[in-house]
Amino acid sequence: MPPLSALRRYLIPFALAAAPLARAQEAGEQGETIEVQGQKPSGSPRAPAAAGTVVEGAQFGGEIRSVGEMLLAAPGVSVHAMGGPGQAATLSLRGASADQSVVLLDGIPLQGPGGGAVDLSTLPATLLDKMVISRGVLGAQFGPGALGGAVELVPRSGRGTWTGGATASIGSFGTALLAADASMPVGQGNAVLAVQGDRTDGDFIYSRQLTPEIPGSPYYDFTRENADATRGSALLRVSQELGADLGADLLLQGSAGSRGLPGSSADPTPLSRELDQGGVAGLRLRGAAGDLGWSLRGSGTLDHIELRGVSAIGDCQDGAPDCPREDQRSSSLRGEGELRFPLGEANAFDVLAGAGAESVDGAGTGEHQRGLLSLAVRDDVSLGAGVSLHPGLRFDRIGAESGLSPSLGVRWNPSPPLTLRAAWGLSFRAPTFSELYLMRGGAVGNPELLPERAWSVDAGAEWRGSLLTLSASAFWSSYRDLILYQLFPPARVKPFNVGEARIAGVELQAIVPLPAGFLASLSWSFLDAVNRSDGHSLAYRPPHRIFARLARRGDSVEGYGEVSYTSSFPRNNFDTAFVGSQLLLNAGAGLRVLGPLWIDVEAKNLLDNRTYEDVFQYPLPGFSLAAIARARI
Amino acid sequence: MKRLALPFALLLACGGPFRAPPPVESIALPAGSQLKPYDSSQPGKARPQGLEQAAGRVYVTLSNQRDDFSNAGPGFLAYFVPSVGTVSLIDLGGADGHQCQNPGFVRASADGRLHVPCSGDFSGADGARAIVEVDPLANIVTRRAAIPDGRVPNGVAATANRIWTGDAFSTTVFAFDRATLAADPVAPVPVDCPKSVFSYVADVIAFKNDLWALCGSDISGALYRLDPDTGAVRGQVIVGPNPTEMAGLDDGRLVVVNAGDSTISLVAVSPTLSAQKVFTFSSQNGALQDIRAWGHILFTVASAFNTAQRIDLDAQGGPKVVGEASFGANSGPYNILPLDDTQAIVSNRGTNTIAAAHWVTGQ
Repeated sequence: MPPLSALRRYLIPFALAAAPLARAQEAGEQGETIEVQGQKPSGSPRAPAAAGTVVEGAQFGGEIRSVGEMLLAAPGVSVHAMGGPGQAATLSLRGASADQSVVLLDGIPLQGPGGGAVDLSTLPATLLDKMVISRGVLGAQFGPGALGGAVELVPRSGRGTWTGGATASIGSFGTALLAADASMPVGQGNAVLAVQGDRTDGDFIYSRQLTPEIPGSPYYDFTRENADATRGSALLRVSQELGADLGADLLLQGSAGSRGLPGSSADPTPLSRELDQGGVAGLRLRGAAGDLGWSLRGSGTLDHIELRGVSAIGDCQDGAPDCPREDQRSSSLRGEGELRFPLGEANAFDVLAGAGAESVDGAGTGEHQRGLLSLAVRDDVSLGAGVSLHPGLRFDRIGAESGLSPSLGVRWNPSPPLTLRAAWGLSFRAPTFSELYLMRGGAVGNPELLPERAWSVDAGAEWRGSLLTLSASAFWSSYRDLILYQLFPPARVKPFNVGEARIAGVELQAIVPLPAGFLASLSWSFLDAVNRSDGHSLAYRPPHRIFARLARRGDSVEGYGEVSYTSSFPRNNFDTAFVGSQLLLNAGAGLRVLGPLWIDVEAKNLLDNRTYEDVFQYPLPGFSLAAIARARI
Repeated sequence: MKRLALPFALLLACGGPFRAPPPVESIALPAGSQLKPYDSSQPGKARPQGLEQAAGRVYVTLSNQRDDFSNAGPGFLAYFVPSVGTVSLIDLGGADGHQCQNPGFVRASADGRLHVPCSGDFSGADGARAIVEVDPLANIVTRRAAIPDGRVPNGVAATANRIWTGDAFSTTVFAFDRATLAADPVAPVPVDCPKSVFSYVADVIAFKNDLWALCGSDISGALYRLDPDTGAVRGQVIVGPNPTEMAGLDDGRLVVVNAGDSTISLVAVSPTLSAQKVFTFSSQNGALQDIRAWGHILFTVASAFNTAQRIDLDAQGGPKVVGEASFGANSGPYNILPLDDTQAIVSNRGTNTIAAAHWVTGQ
């Protein structure tokens, strides 16, 4: 009955939804990195001692996969998808929140419009070659914010000859995709241009109980409304060799989309929409002088997002006097220089210095800017006998907040197929602009927020044989000063540095090449996430996640089957409410019908379970079919 | 609870269970110009909250807010006979329309008066915060007490000599002299509970010669037993996290609904004050907003899932949901009012209606 409790129902979901808007988770000898295809690792040189996984985009040829769906092939990853195709999806690494993972496109940090979590649904999957997932507190390697780890999105790269490909698909719920890319020689280098357009009506049928307290209460079918999404994306990447030891790389990527915001199953919002546009640009000069390698890079990001028909209580009629459109723009500009040089025979140093600024401007946040400064040094020390050390130290200043991110990793190759590794890291995450300033509906910013801080230690082993690749990691992470939105009596929600958590876990991955072109892979992630202030489990962290896949690639026939299982996990902070476990079976098969042309058919959620919802009661789709035609020359 | 006195008297007089006339299925609440918007281009919506029975009618507070929670006009009490459904309004805003905004609770006192706390704009500094007294026989505002600055009233309980309310800004309860409406005839009384981030007074009620105050926080909750005249603490007991509402049972015990962990605490007063969690809601229900009692039957509202529950407190094996009602998407049921031990109505903040509960009982 108190006014406060009236707000409780609306404000927390609203704050969580609003937060993403303004801001609701290596090569050769490096790291315990496993390519899901079972090929030679080619992960991030930034984190040689970190647990990592490489997910190749080509692995999913003939399948319709979002970036989030592809990431689920890796252990230690969970993706929070707020509904069906085209709807927002955020990433969590090792149980960290979406804000606590760094996502980079060709090395350029991405972020949501308010400086927070990246919406994976805005990233076009067909424009990417692969994704490199590095797990752990990796601030020294990837900068502040990498408290759960980092995902490096590697865009398609050009080749010295004309090549290209195209994909078209059509499927359930009015879903369709067109994508094409072409690589060509240009000047003293090459270029690749890729485009993707996709859309969905999103009008799937879902089922829910209206009276869940009654045992055996029936499920009723509903059609999801206002879940349509349309997006267009393009990527241009040009590489030029300007001299014997001098080169330049240009990256331009842009995306624009429009989607309905359908709301939860209990409180649908048929009038709410979101429009967004974003772009990334980067220019890098690279060179070498003897043993010294160097690079200089300038990059920038620009994002704009507009909400229509959105209110604190639900939806409203766009254009009505009490239903103003809300937009927000954010941008960043960075310059970065990097030197890599040997020191003696045992040390390879990497020194990085960067500076820049980021800004936000919107009705909800006001106009704010802050400077960025970073200095980092890393060393790869060979100690002999197959042992290497990887210390690192990075200093960052973000606005008024400063922090050090040290790390230390060690690798040991006692015999060729076996690698052992261990790593420790400590870092921080500065509050986002949204957390500091966002004022919308019942949410208020908190300019007094301090950075979140975390450290972690992990150890692992990897066996990389011709018949089996096996990786195992165990980790222990500690978080403090976590920023959590809390009710702020009498009538607001506001972020505070109140969280204190311990997350421990185990990650296993096995890849087995089989005869006749088959490849089996299995990953298992275990999380034990505890609120240290009261001992309860942390909400929204599934203790178990299993992903198993059997796929075949060949000259004329291909196919796959996979199982994705997420165990039940807490919905509240008191271990009394849970989101049920979810089991998804997907399968697909394809034939090369003519020359380079493949036709594939794919089915997702084969069990047609229509009762799955995410943590905010956003329904997830049941059985779906898609037909895919693709060709590459 | 005094509102139960009349039905029980009827029950005793007739020698059988009291049965209220069936309520109207759904009652639309006033909108638009009926709510006297300050700016006709930006009217509010009824946003009904508290429910109470008096003088043979049901009264419901209308907070009259826009979608951004701003106050669009004066607060109202709407009243109706549930079996008839015709709605009339009492303007609580006074001559300038600003004497009461955002009313939440409404409670009847032993002498039949209604008291309504108005929270204003939640700033704690505006003049629209008040306790408004209404005579339900004449359906007029009889008196108004302004809230001291820095406080936002939450809950209301009229005892013989005091009108008590809680502070949504702090964990204190404070009083007005019942005769003069002078504020703070006794010093505000702290009613703290352990917290991590926030705590506040969720509600106060008068029950069985005691004043009861509920402290709610993000991690805990406490029920205080207070002297109805002085506010002196007679006892306290820990309940569940983030409790939102409480109700008295006819056997002298109390029940508290805890939104934090979706549980119900049963509080015994004698021999000592003690609490026990006796029921946990399913994982699909949340944002529990209200609890009422009729004999051994409890009525609750789960706002996040648009449902209400009918719970048999004395069921074999412990409290059991014996009926559940759904009010549909976006309904946002907020308060529930039992009309007898089976029939109940809810105030739907989302759809701005009063709706009758149709219980699904299962096997």
